[in-house]
Amino acid sequence: MSSSIGEKCTKIKQEYDGCFNNWYSEKFLKGDATPQCDDLFFKYKECLMQTLEEKKLDTLIADARKDNPFPNASSSSSSSKSESSSKKE
Amino acid sequence: MVKFYQHTSSFEHAWDNVTYAFWLRYPNPFASHVIGCDVLDRSVDPVTGVLRTTRLILKQGVLPRWGRSLIKSPDAYIIEESEVNPKTHTMVTRTKNLNHVRVMQVEETQTFTIHPENPKWTQVKTEARIISELRWGMTGRVESFGINKFMDNSVKARKGMAHILERLRQNAAAAAAASAVAPLEA
Repeated sequence: MSSSIGEKCTKIKQEYDGCFNNWYSEKFLKGDATPQCDDLFFKYKECLMQTLEEKKLDTLIADARKDNPFPNASSSSSSSKSESSSKKE
Repeated sequence: MVKFYQHTSSFEHAWDNVTYAFWLRYPNPFASHVIGCDVLDRSVDPVTGVLRTTRLILKQGVLPRWGRSLIKSPDAYIIEESEVNPKTHTMVTRTKNLNHVRVMQVEETQTFTIHPENPKWTQVKTEARIISELRWGMTGRVESFGINKFMDNSVKARKGMAHILERLRQNAAAAAAASAVAPLEA
């Protein structure tokens, strides 16, 4: 399993990866999408967000993610949701 | 200046395994330049059942000497967005670099589907766009470097995936063998 960009997050990241890999191959691909690794993901993400702030990567990432990489997918599925960013057009 | 690149290839492995290998692909012996890979967001769309993931990948850059004056940090951050639809058996991944974008932006889209000629195989369509805003006669050089580097990396990425897929196949074979002999042990 790969390391985290934040050294201190690698342990929790690999724990989460293990959970996800198992869920993906044994549940998700077999039609069961019930979440299984949320607790681990929250812990991992908390650590990661701290790292990204420390490395000043948070704004870089936020800017990059403003471009929707899947415009077709979201226009067909976001009709019922009111996302603030969808009003720009 | 913009350059486009398009390529279709296949893996002689089932779609399920190829998409699984996508998550497992770092580390592998062909990606020693990848220092870290993190999941920024991940969720399943309750309506469509599509798994959406955003990852951040840190790559140690290997630049030619003339490029080192252009770029302060040789490391590159890559953002990877992906969607897996288990019902239609489609995985789409999009990657682009976050820093060094003025020098060069590489945007790559890969679509993994069941191979039209063999349902046990997977087809991969790759489309890429390489853009540079540099002037002073550098763009040509930067972009041909970018294209070459991109091609090298594509080959390495493919080898990395093939390596992981082979490992999965061996594990599955070992597990099947173990379960076949298990009744004897019990």
